[in-house]
Amino acid sequence: MKLFGAARLFSRPRRQQILPGFGLTMGYTVTYLSLIVLIPLAAVVLSAYGLPLTQWLEVLAAPRVLASFRLSVSASLIAAVVNAVFGLLIAWVLTRYEFPGRRLLDALVDLPFALPTAVAGIALTTLYAPNGWLGRILVPLGIHVAFTPLGVIVALSFISLPFVVRTLQPVIADLDQDLERAADTLGAGPLLVFRRVIFPALLPALITGSALAFSRALGEYGSVIFIAGNIPQVSEIVPLVIMTKLEQFQYREAAVVAVAMLLLSFAMMFVVNAGQLALQRRHLGKR
Amino acid sequence: MSIRIEQVTKLYQGIPVVNDVTVEIQTGEFFVLLGPSGSGKSTLLRALAGLTHIDHGRMSLHGRDVTETPARQRGVGLVFQNYALFRHMTVADNIEFALRVRWVRAAARRRRRQELLQLVALEGYDERYPSQLSGGQQQRVAVARALAHEPAVLLLDEPFGALDAKIRVELRETVRAVQQRIGMTTILVTHDQEEAFALADRLGVMQMGRLLETGSPEELYRHPTTRFVARFLGAANLFLGEVSGQGLRLGTATLTPDPSAPQAAVGTEAVLVVRPEDIEIALQTGAPQSPPFAGGKVRALTFAGHQQYVTVELDELSGVETATGDGRGAGEAVSVDALRSAAEQSAAPLSLGMPVNLGVRRLHALPTPISSFRLLTGDAAHSAALEANPLLTQLLRSMQARVIRQPPIGARVERLDAGICVLPLAADTPDAIGAAVAQGARRLLCIPPLTSLPARMLIYAGEAMRSSALLALVSSAMRHLPVPTTAVTIQRPEASRSEVVEAQRKLLDTRADLRSAHGLDLRGERFVGDLRSWLAHVAAQPEPLLIVLELPATPETLAQSLAGDLAPLFAPGSRAAVLFAIEAAP
Repeated sequence: MKLFGAARLFSRPRRQQILPGFGLTMGYTVTYLSLIVLIPLAAVVLSAYGLPLTQWLEVLAAPRVLASFRLSVSASLIAAVVNAVFGLLIAWVLTRYEFPGRRLLDALVDLPFALPTAVAGIALTTLYAPNGWLGRILVPLGIHVAFTPLGVIVALSFISLPFVVRTLQPVIADLDQDLERAADTLGAGPLLVFRRVIFPALLPALITGSALAFSRALGEYGSVIFIAGNIPQVSEIVPLVIMTKLEQFQYREAAVVAVAMLLLSFAMMFVVNAGQLALQRRHLGKR
Repeated sequence: MSIRIEQVTKLYQGIPVVNDVTVEIQTGEFFVLLGPSGSGKSTLLRALAGLTHIDHGRMSLHGRDVTETPARQRGVGLVFQNYALFRHMTVADNIEFALRVRWVRAAARRRRRQELLQLVALEGYDERYPSQLSGGQQQRVAVARALAHEPAVLLLDEPFGALDAKIRVELRETVRAVQQRIGMTTILVTHDQEEAFALADRLGVMQMGRLLETGSPEELYRHPTTRFVARFLGAANLFLGEVSGQGLRLGTATLTPDPSAPQAAVGTEAVLVVRPEDIEIALQTGAPQSPPFAGGKVRALTFAGHQQYVTVELDELSGVETATGDGRGAGEAVSVDALRSAAEQSAAPLSLGMPVNLGVRRLHALPTPISSFRLLTGDAAHSAALEANPLLTQLLRSMQARVIRQPPIGARVERLDAGICVLPLAADTPDAIGAAVAQGARRLLCIPPLTSLPARMLIYAGEAMRSSALLALVSSAMRHLPVPTTAVTIQRPEASRSEVVEAQRKLLDTRADLRSAHGLDLRGERFVGDLRSWLAHVAAQPEPLLIVLELPATPETLAQSLAGDLAPLFAPGSRAAVLFAIEAAP
């Protein structure tokens, strides 16, 4: 009954819907979201709740935790930026050009989604380890990928690429090619057309895609732990710190780090959405 | 000459969507390209803007050849149907875009922007975003943006297509006013005949990649050359008539044509165009004030505000024949569409079924050599097979012409000198041709069994290439077939230099004649050998071709030529369709 009451509050249909049952579906939506998303999140916060603030700071200020945050955030950011550049390129090529093997290439983009992350991690480690195919070439050149922060970046770039590509593809497909033609007849060269016409039109989607990639990279665990080597304060990421703490039965401390991470993610989402909204208000008006 | 387009051809998967278009547009002229969708008009415009690569031809703007120039250096302003404004930029930034990429100083940019906004009556909208403007306002911004860099020509691609009827008319007037104020050479592409009439200084009608006709709206409306243009620019009644000594014979009446119309030889069949508003309806009790031509019964009346549409079914006794083949079965009565003003309506009120007399105020005879198709076949099954042939199907559809099934030659003596005679291509065709020519046939089309349209049309530019009968036939075929057309000159292998030059000159003369008489252009090609070897060569091509030739009229030379040089065409395995024009008797 309570749910239906709430439904009445939200619904106020201006006209008759073809499919009835707003109350019922809304009820299920709220219940499902609560069970799957809200309650677990609340549990994390609750389990860290008992701790006084000084202890919170103590846990977070520990050099090992701080270093892991620094690495997680910076590596995710770098991965997001790298993917923004190459993801845009890949999305453009896959959408704009017709070539043999295009569909195969397109399917390849989803591989990081489909592959179990552990498999990806093992594959990357085998490749970049000093005796691996790529490692054998790179290590003599002084480039160490496996068991360094660089390895973390490589793994994070790998798993977060599809987010940028898949967000951009429909936007590029919808992009009116007459815009480019108009800019062309107005005298703009290819670079200018890209910078002044295409890029601004793709920017909102690029930001969304990169933000998604960043969020995904921040929480990634499986693929990183193999290639990172997990050397404390050097190549240890936040999820691993939480894991370690859990294994040592420091549940509260683990929860504190987890909450900090949660807040970071929320802040990120908030900033991106606010930025999106502002961009849309300014450039596109309300549509 | 502001814009020169010469033999521009654009192929799409081998099919010409723009087919040898040649046209010149004067400085300051407002030229409208009119045509149904898929006629190639937008492609031609985009080619001129440099956005589409062309396969053949040249284009120049103000005497500067721009065929190879990239779009951004052509100096054209292009306006799109969907505005194509940059949505993330303000109106000011949109308009200044072309100036910004040219590094124009801010102050100069602002001045030019104010000027343009004033021109399109949008002062004060500088800081708005496109999404905050109505469709009409957005299109005005697009026009201003296209004019910012002072382009050589302004090109408008269906600019009013996405707008409401009322705003469309408003914006049309704005565009016309702007164009006249700054005297900009402008090409507008549209499929809307009313829009074309309202805007054009000169009009070009396109269909199937060909520029069919150009002229002022009034010229084209009153004196069209093709059936297509006659019917595309407003409603028209098309009848089959005959040129007689006193004027034009339509059914049992003889009428005086428009004095400005081109003269045709007495006795030739003609397609007569009568606009609905030129038909006068009188009650049976009175006679029409204009020359009367038939009586009939009112079949339908449609109210349209200040006007009234009337359909009159003609009495069979009138003997009037329709020139169109739109689904009218044999034996069905011919009906006429008329348009009456309010004054006429009150003077003579009509009701359904009422007998009336019709008069013609004005009529125009189309100068087309192909007024109708006569199928010369043995029986109905052969006729049906011939009508299903893709070449004839395409011709009938695009000419909107009528087919008359003729009994086999010799069965009954009929005049064959009207329109074009069609016969299947087979071993006995030379005899059939001889018999048809003996009965007066002037034009013949011989079609082998085809599964697709001919890939190309080849015109044999022999000695008689410049005869006006052949040119008229060629132009008619060119206007109605979406295939590339080439004039072929044949040269002896041992030809001297002066002979080569002479052949080249003849070809150029032919092109000039075709241009001035029919507004069409074609390309030239040379074949080294003789006529017979050329025909053997083309008949053996894997893809079917259409060949246009002139034949002598005298029976002996005709038979000699059919059995001699032209023999390869009738050899087994030949896949070429042939269009013959018979030389005028000396």
